[in-house]
Amino acid sequence: MSISRRKFLGIVGTAGVTAMVGKPSQAASNKHFKGYPNSTGVLHDTVRCVGCRRCEAACSKVNELPVPEKPFEDLTVLEKKRRTTSTSYTVVNQVQSSDGQKSFIKNQCNHCLEPACASVCFVTAFTKTPEGAVTYNPSVCVGCRYCMIGCPFEIPTYEYDQALTPRVMKCTMCYPRIKEGLLPGCVEACPTEALTYGKRDDLIKIARKRIQSHPDRYLDHIYGEKEMGGTSWLYLSGVPFSQLGLREDLGYKPAPQLTSGALSMVPMVVGLWPVLLTGIYAINKRKEKIAAKEQADAVAKAVAEANAKADEKLTAAKEKAQKDKDAAVIREVKKALEEAAKAQAEEGASKKTFKDQASSKD
Amino acid sequence: MYKGKFPTFSHSILVMIILLIGVAGLWAADQTSSNQTPNQMNGNHRHGSATMERTDLILIDSLSLFGPLERPAVAFPHDKHTQVVEKQNKDCLTCHKEDKGKLSLKFKNTEDSNRQDAMAIYHDNCIACHVNIAGKGKESGPVTCGECHQKKINLISVRQPMGLDKSLHYRHVQAQEKKCELCHHEYDAKTKKLFYAKGKESTCRYCHKEKTEEKRISVQSASHLQCISCHRIKLAENLNAGPIHCKGCHSREAQNRIEKIDEVPRMERNQPDTVLIRASVNAESTKIPVERVAPVAFNHKAHENYNDNCRSCHHASLAACTSCHTPVGKKDGQNIRLSQAMHQRDADPSCIGCHTVKQKSSKCAGCHSSIKRDKNSDLSSCKACHLSNPDGMQKPMTKKEAATLAARLIANRPSEMATTVLNEIPEKVVIKKLSDQYKPVELPHRKIITKLLENIKDDKIAGHFHTDPGTVCQGCHHNSPPSKTPPKCGSCHGKSFNTSSTFRSGLMGAYHEQCFRCHAKMGIEKPASRDCTACHLKKRS
Repeated sequence: MSISRRKFLGIVGTAGVTAMVGKPSQAASNKHFKGYPNSTGVLHDTVRCVGCRRCEAACSKVNELPVPEKPFEDLTVLEKKRRTTSTSYTVVNQVQSSDGQKSFIKNQCNHCLEPACASVCFVTAFTKTPEGAVTYNPSVCVGCRYCMIGCPFEIPTYEYDQALTPRVMKCTMCYPRIKEGLLPGCVEACPTEALTYGKRDDLIKIARKRIQSHPDRYLDHIYGEKEMGGTSWLYLSGVPFSQLGLREDLGYKPAPQLTSGALSMVPMVVGLWPVLLTGIYAINKRKEKIAAKEQADAVAKAVAEANAKADEKLTAAKEKAQKDKDAAVIREVKKALEEAAKAQAEEGASKKTFKDQASSKD
Repeated sequence: MYKGKFPTFSHSILVMIILLIGVAGLWAADQTSSNQTPNQMNGNHRHGSATMERTDLILIDSLSLFGPLERPAVAFPHDKHTQVVEKQNKDCLTCHKEDKGKLSLKFKNTEDSNRQDAMAIYHDNCIACHVNIAGKGKESGPVTCGECHQKKINLISVRQPMGLDKSLHYRHVQAQEKKCELCHHEYDAKTKKLFYAKGKESTCRYCHKEKTEEKRISVQSASHLQCISCHRIKLAENLNAGPIHCKGCHSREAQNRIEKIDEVPRMERNQPDTVLIRASVNAESTKIPVERVAPVAFNHKAHENYNDNCRSCHHASLAACTSCHTPVGKKDGQNIRLSQAMHQRDADPSCIGCHTVKQKSSKCAGCHSSIKRDKNSDLSSCKACHLSNPDGMQKPMTKKEAATLAARLIANRPSEMATTVLNEIPEKVVIKKLSDQYKPVELPHRKIITKLLENIKDDKIAGHFHTDPGTVCQGCHHNSPPSKTPPKCGSCHGKSFNTSSTFRSGLMGAYHEQCFRCHAKMGIEKPASRDCTACHLKKRS
C-alpha cells in the first residue's frame, strides 16, 4: 500500500480532529472560498501558441532578470524540457505528439485561488492579492523553502547563489504593472494572443466560447478552472493536458484544504501543549509539596514524640525528686514530729512530775 | 578478567553471523529477482513469437457460449498453423470439416454441442498434434495448460479490417462473369432458404452485422465462409484466386498490393442518375405536395464517383433516404428527421457531414478551419442545394418525372465558381501595426487570393458553394457579407483586451492568428511562424 505523506497527514489530521472536535475537517478551512470577485488572470490558449519565446523575453525585461546565456531568439532551447529558475519566471516548453504535431506550453506560477505556497508559509511571505496575483515579500521570508515543496506545479525557485539575501523567485503576474493598469509583460508581448489577460470570470467565458466555436480544435476542458481549487491562470489545449506536462492527478480540492486537517491540529497542539505541561508540572509540584509536608509532619511528630518522652521523663524525675523530697520532708517532719513528740512526752512526764510536784505543792 | 572477556567475544561472533546472513539473504534475493526476468522473457519468446505484432491472431473463446470461462481465452496464431499444415502437404481439411460444401469455421467440428465436447475437441486434437510433432524432434506448440491459456497475452493484433471497394468489387464481377448470385442472396423467412433476388443486391453488412444473431451469421463468419471457400476452389483449379491466409487480406502490406482498377464502370443496380429530394410527405402521392422548403436536386451519379462504396451514404440499406428519414422522423430512421440526416455535421453519411470532411483537405482548410462551428451559415449556402423550381410544384409527380426535373435543375445550375475580377482586388496591403519595431509589412494581397483561387479551380464542391465572387474573400474577411469592398481587419480588431469587446482578438493577435493558422493548415512552411523577420523586415538602424 502506498500513501503519500500529504495524504497520510491529511488522514491523521482529519481523524484526529474528527475524534477530538467532532466536526469535519472542512470546518477548519475556508471551504467556500471562490476567489476574490473581479480577480484577474490569464488564459493561455496553447493551440494558438507558436513557441516564439517572446513572453520569456518580455518577462525577463520587465522583471529586470539577468539576460540568459542563449538569446531568447534561439529556439533550440525548446528541444529540452525546462523548468522555471530563479532567473526565469517563465519558460516555454515544446511537446511533440505521436503524429508529429508540435504543441507549446508556457509555464509560470499559476496563481492559485488558494495557494499552497501561502498556506505553508508560516511567516506569511506570500499573499493572494484581490487582483489575482500571488505576491512574495522577501523581507519576512526566513528561507525555509516550504513553498517550493508545497507548490504542486513546482514553480517557486530559490536564489541558491545569493549567500546573504537569498529570495524565493517566481512569477508575480506583473503585480506592479497590473496596479499601474498595464498588462503583464508576457501577455503584452504575445504576438498571437495565446495569452489573454482579463477578469477570471470573463476568461472562462472566452475559453468556453472558443471550445464551442471550434470543438475540433480544443479539448472540452479548461485547465485551472477547478484544478487545485482553481487557478488564476487558465489553459486551453488541443492535446491532453498531461502531454503538455500539466498534472492531471491534482484533483479539484484547494491545497490548503488537503492539509487543513493536519494543520488544524497545530493550534490545538500549540494551545494544549502548555496546558498539559503546566498540568504535569503542577501535579509534580503538588506531589513534591505533599511529600515535603508529609516529611515535615513526620519530623515534627518525631520531634514532638521525643519531646513528649523527654518531658515525661523529666516530669517523672521531677515527680520522683519531689516525692523523694516530700518523703524526705515528711520523713524529716515525721522524724522531727516523733522527736518532738518524744521530747514532748519526756517534757510531759517531767512536767507531770513537776505538776505533780506543783500540785503537790498546792 | 577471563569471566568478563568471554561474553564480549561471543557477542561479536553473533553480530558477525547475523550480518553475514543478512548480506547473503540480500544477495540471494537479488540473484533470484535478476534471474527471474530473463527466464520469464525466454518463456515468452518460446511460446509467443519473435514478432510481437501479428495479423493472424484469433482469440479462442468458444466455450464462452456455455457460460463464463474457467481459464483465459487462447490467443491462436492461425497463419503459423497453416504454414505447418502446408509443409506437410495437407490442406485446410486437416483442421476444418466440410459442412454443406463449405469449410466450417470451427475447429474439427461443425456445431458446438456442449461444453465438455467442445473443450475435448480442442484439448485432444491440439495437444495430440503438438506431441506428435515434438516426437519427430521438430519445434512444436505448447502442451501444458498455462502455455496456451495465458493471462497476459504478449501478442498484439495488427489485423486490418477488410472490405471490397469499387475496384475490388468490379474485379470480382469480372472474374465471376457477372454472376451476382454467387455472392449476393436474400433470406426467405417462409422457406427458410437463401435465394437470389435480381436487382436487390446490397452490401453484405446490411444483413450480416458485427455479431452473429439468430439465423444470421456475423459479417466476419459470412465473409470468411464465402470468400475463402471460393478462393480455395479457384486455387485448386489453378486459377488466379484471392488470398486464403489471414495476412493475405488483413495485413496492411497485402492490402496496399491489391490491384486497383482506375476506371471502374458504374455499378448496375438500377440506381437513379438524379434524385429530387423533397421534404414533401409522399413523392408518389396524388395530392399536390406542400413544399416546405425548395427540393434538392441531387446528382446521384456524380456522387457515386466521389465515394468508394454505397455504404458511405446508404448506411443501413440501399433504399432512398426519405424512406426512413421523413420530414418529422419515424421509428425506422431512429427518429432522425430528414433535415438532420442531410445537415448533421458530425454524421459522416449526411451531406454536410461529408462536405465538412472534404473541407479538411489542405487546399480548403486554410479558410474553412477558421470558420466557427457555432456560426449560423448565411442563406446563400442553403440556396446552393435547395434550388427553387422555375415551374413550381404545381402537379403531382412520379419518381421518373421528379428525376427528370432534378436533372434539368442540375443542368441549369451554375457549374463554375463565380470569379472575381482580379484587377479590382488591391495588389498589396501595407500593415504598419508594428512599425515601431519593424518595417511595415507588405502583404501580397492579390497574390494570396490568386493562389487560393488556383487551388480550388477544379474543385466541384467549391465551385458549387462559393456562390458569390466575394465568397473567397470571406475566408479572411469573415463575419461580414460577401462584398467587393469588405471591412478591413482594423475595422473590427483594435486594441487588445478591450473590455468592451472581450471576445474579440486585438489587431496584432488577429493578424498573426489568421496568417499562422492558414499557413499551418495549408502546409505552407515559409515564412515560418516564429521567424519574425521573414514578414516584418528589420529596420535599418
